Amino acid sequence: MTMPYISRHPLENRLPLEPGIRAVDHMDVPRGTAIATVMAMDGEDAAVAAGLAVAGDMSLRFVAPGEWLAVSQSDTPEGLCRNLSLLLAETASVFDQSDGRVVLRLSGPNVRRILAKGIGIDLHPAVFEIGTSSNVLCGHISINLARTGENEFELIVMRSFAESLFDDLRLMGREFDLSADFSAQG
Amino acid sequence: MTAYRLTSGGLVDRGANLDFKFDGKTLTGLSGDTLASALLANDRLLVGRSFKYHRPRGIVTAGASEPNALVTIGKGASTDPNTKATVAELYAGLDARSQNRWPSLKYDFGAVNGLLSPFLGAGFYYKTFMWPAAFWEKVYEPIIRRAAGLGRVVLERDPEAYEKCWAHCDLLVVGSGPTGLMAALVAGRAGLRVILADEDFRLGGSLLAETTRIDGVSAQAFAEASLAELRSLPNVTIMPRTTVFGWYDDNVFGAVERVQKHVAMPQAKLPVERLWRIAAKRALLATGAEERPLVFGGNDKPGVMMAGAMRTYANRFGVAAGRSVAIFSNGSAGYQAAHDLAAQGVEIAAIIDSRSDVADVAPAGVRLIQSGSVIDTQGRQRVSGIVVERSGFEETIACDAIGMSGGWNPVIHLACQRGAKAVWSPELQTFLAPDVGNGLVVAGSAAGRYTLVGCLADGAQKAAAIAADLGFSAPAEAMPVVEEDIDPSFTALWYSPGAKAKAFIDFQNDVHVRDIGLALREGFGHVEHAKRYTTNGMATDQGKLSGINATGLLAAMQGISPADVGTTTFRPFYTPVTLGALAGTSRDEHAAPVRKSPLHGWAQKNGAVFVDSGLWYRPAYFARSGEKTWRESTDREVRNVRENVGLCDVSTLGKIEIFGPDAAEFLNRIYCNAFLKLPVGKARYGLMLREDGMVYDDGTTSRLSSEHFFMTTTTALAGGVMSHMEYCAQVLWPDLRVRFCSSTDQWAQMAIAGPKARLVVQALVEDDISDAAFPFLAAGIVALKGGLKARLFRISFSGELAYELAVPAGSGEAVADAIMEEGRAHGICAYGLEALNVLRMEKGHVTHAEFDGRVTPDDAGFGRMVSAQKPDFIGKRLSTRYGLTAADRMQMVGLKPVEADQHIRAGAHLLREGAKPSTLNDQGYVSSACFSPTLGHDIALAFLKSGRERYGERIVVWDKLAGADVVAEVCNPVFVDPGNAKLNV
Amino acid sequence: MASLIHCPHCGVRPKEEFSIRGDASLVRPDPEASDEAWHDYVHIRSNPRGRYREHWQHVAGCRRWLVVERDTFTHEVFSVTDGAATAREAGR
Repeated sequence: MTMPYISRHPLENRLPLEPGIRAVDHMDVPRGTAIATVMAMDGEDAAVAAGLAVAGDMSLRFVAPGEWLAVSQSDTPEGLCRNLSLLLAETASVFDQSDGRVVLRLSGPNVRRILAKGIGIDLHPAVFEIGTSSNVLCGHISINLARTGENEFELIVMRSFAESLFDDLRLMGREFDLSADFSAQG
Repeated sequence: MTAYRLTSGGLVDRGANLDFKFDGKTLTGLSGDTLASALLANDRLLVGRSFKYHRPRGIVTAGASEPNALVTIGKGASTDPNTKATVAELYAGLDARSQNRWPSLKYDFGAVNGLLSPFLGAGFYYKTFMWPAAFWEKVYEPIIRRAAGLGRVVLERDPEAYEKCWAHCDLLVVGSGPTGLMAALVAGRAGLRVILADEDFRLGGSLLAETTRIDGVSAQAFAEASLAELRSLPNVTIMPRTTVFGWYDDNVFGAVERVQKHVAMPQAKLPVERLWRIAAKRALLATGAEERPLVFGGNDKPGVMMAGAMRTYANRFGVAAGRSVAIFSNGSAGYQAAHDLAAQGVEIAAIIDSRSDVADVAPAGVRLIQSGSVIDTQGRQRVSGIVVERSGFEETIACDAIGMSGGWNPVIHLACQRGAKAVWSPELQTFLAPDVGNGLVVAGSAAGRYTLVGCLADGAQKAAAIAADLGFSAPAEAMPVVEEDIDPSFTALWYSPGAKAKAFIDFQNDVHVRDIGLALREGFGHVEHAKRYTTNGMATDQGKLSGINATGLLAAMQGISPADVGTTTFRPFYTPVTLGALAGTSRDEHAAPVRKSPLHGWAQKNGAVFVDSGLWYRPAYFARSGEKTWRESTDREVRNVRENVGLCDVSTLGKIEIFGPDAAEFLNRIYCNAFLKLPVGKARYGLMLREDGMVYDDGTTSRLSSEHFFMTTTTALAGGVMSHMEYCAQVLWPDLRVRFCSSTDQWAQMAIAGPKARLVVQALVEDDISDAAFPFLAAGIVALKGGLKARLFRISFSGELAYELAVPAGSGEAVADAIMEEGRAHGICAYGLEALNVLRMEKGHVTHAEFDGRVTPDDAGFGRMVSAQKPDFIGKRLSTRYGLTAADRMQMVGLKPVEADQHIRAGAHLLREGAKPSTLNDQGYVSSACFSPTLGHDIALAFLKSGRERYGERIVVWDKLAGADVVAEVCNPVFVDPGNAKLNV
Repeated sequence: MASLIHCPHCGVRPKEEFSIRGDASLVRPDPEASDEAWHDYVHIRSNPRGRYREHWQHVAGCRRWLVVERDTFTHEVFSVTDGAATAREAGR
């Protein structure tokens, strides 16, 4: 028996399959994001960081000293892990988390105020600068938060918590009519 | 008394009438009113009854310290009791009711307590309701509660929304009076991120009631201009209707914003209240000062009001508190009130000043009585006159309201919430906040600088110093020019002598002077004891008005300084905060996150009934039509797994990927059994101990390559094990070259168990999984037909031929569907936690029901697993200590009832036949029990003293809760397939 | 209501992001050490008023074990350092 196993997104119960009408504050959910955990072996933090800095086609999210999430919208999970493993060879361990993590992108003039309802860190752009990322508590749920623009944030959450986080964010964004849908580009 | 709306003046919109209800009667106020000012404008002065004596009480203040005007606002589930009318913003449709009266405010049966008052003195409750003890709960307390209660809690579900929010700033300014405005302006202009918070709906603080001119304009216009500038600064956030109620560690402030408490129909998308946690680098407390009441005979009658409140009602709200007002004062502020009221056309009946030879000037034509004392008031439900005593002569003066002014108390509450003790200032005759460090600076009236010039300058100076300290430069600025400043001078008067009626200190709790004296005489003179003994300062206002006078009286009665008496402890919250605001959005489905397995959809399709398992939702059983109870479904699932095959979602197990050259060594140290030589492609059961030698967790760990292991933990301890491993790797052995990460969410993992499991799994897997190619405990990466890579483990919790298949979570549901489809011909069923639990008990497998923190590996029958060869592992050393190796330790055994139809329940204790139930006779306990569909009777796992030597013995299973004693036979805990014939096929 | 901990890796965070294990001065004894040494390590804890060094884990952040030196009476935090670095310095 040969089966093409359809991959399901955990927010399929929450979101229409087609893009809807966007409010000024919007939550965009990309479906096919490749994500990998990169863990530098002891003493290799700097070498791994240097290697990752020149790796194209991906963004890095800080998790802990010597540990990152590598995120790519264009690569496949296998491709991302393969490239990272080749690049980092003996200096780091790489593990595919593409199915275990869910990406949510928030953008709009009020997203800082929306996120402040769950996140205790100062999100002023002079403090949490563009390009900064960190693991942080959002309400009851631990996430990785990255600032991708003045008014743009990317949240990465564990798959099992995705529906709860999504529901929390909808509640937090209710004041500003936050809209949400899957990314058009798939 | 007749209170009334003045024909002009005030910051109310005279074109905007607002209809509202008080005790069912429709009244009209103006936009800009508080409920209190609107009630006064309607001459409704009687607004409540006191707590103990049910005495009629009127509005006393114009702010947050109000002890009397507590009302219930709202209807149905949206009802808020104990709302201060003096801060409640009026809106059209507001529906308020008075409290603490029955049947009505005017005729209150509870007032009979007033006649009994000689018996209701301080310590009354402690003395009267002593015995019999049983009466307290059933008789005394309900009666007291019904008679006393301040408002009623509504038991319906609160339909309103609340939320919490964080804010961050360089400077938090609390209070928007002259000090706060000036501080915010200086800091805002210097570029600091400033938050200006004020509890009022209109900002400006005391400026809103001042009649002087600042920089050539009215105080109100000055406030408005300052606010306009602040609003124009992008680095300044202005938060009206926001009470900063607490100062916490690391300069975090708690505040509650009343977002929609002032509207009849709250918008659904906004909360009614928002709880703020404000992390401020610095804070400036500009909370002003509270006017001090005077303690004189009959001072609790409706119509007796703070003189400053009368000014506020007149100047800010355009309401006169009476037509003929007497002023009783010990300082200049009383004269100010008299002048302002007189200017509005209110008659001043007299000014009674407790001081002699003062320079203050009464308004033209107003009688001034110096060295006077008010000893009583006349009138029943409102004041009709005062009795004044001077030099031994009494005189009655007609009036319909009394304004009292007893000096000033800086509002230092926040500064003293973290343990700092207020400091007595002999010069200012009041308590001030001590230096509480850099984080919080007190300024203006709150720091005892009462004049407008002082406030403006203090706010500006302290804000500039903070700005400089934080690295900003604040240019020196010219101070605003104040035309006529206020005079805050007074001579403290703790008690107006000669009282002919009760002289109250705490209006809300009915504490009067004699109560304080009694407390002192009976040995409760310490200010904290006196508070509890008399209930002074115990009510919703927490002594905002009464505290200082209690201290002053305690000092005066003992002939000591108030400095030696001190104040009671300041604690959050400054004013009451609703439970809704404290809960925020954390209620219902948002109270705790729900974790969902990647197979949740599959389980739903198959009829799962879910159960909470930690944060996870897990299928308990899969009900089929015709099945009436969980047991029917569970029994069917168990039988089907034993006879055919079943699929169970085990995705919730903790999963950890472990990498590195020292990964094997690391595992060898955290498990009690050996892992160093685990071959690639093999899984091994692992037992993790705590350092004290007790079992912590168990699971399987597989070696996927020489430097890559895959560990599973129990669902319950997934987080704990991860933290434990992180502690070991980071703190105990930082030099081991090992890294690991959780992969719990990456994998959908399913157990396929039953004699037909291989038939089903092989149909999906490309690789050969025959017993020869993939024997028991094999582990590895396989390809599913179609190309999907998966992990396959030949491990079994049920005791059947079983596999665990892990696929990337997104594909989990599709793979599970395919297994069900493929297994249909083999009679596959989905099985849940209940069946899983029965299957493992039948096989004698343990869970955390057995590993409860008191169990060693040997207790559970794993003694031989513990490695004696390893030099060290977590728990090794203390495993060998005396007591953990004793021969009479409780060991895990099986139990089966001698009478097959009898039931055994977990939690029951074990006794020898004929032994009385006692701790001494306790032989052990039942850890797990169930009905075994395979055997047709109950089975149990239990811990029994020296249990493994006692197979065949009869023992009593004593279950006091169920009221049943069952005789059971002790047996091997493996009930099904003890020879493992089913595993190795 | 709140207090803030300065994680050396993640910055200032509310205390809700952390879990507390306890005394950070304890050193795991040698496996051959005396019963008393092990008993002390596993069971005996002082409960000082004043300065105290504790192991805290930044569970909702970087998941690093940290050494937090604080005053148990005033709650003042004096320093927060990485637990592994501290352990290495101590020569564990």
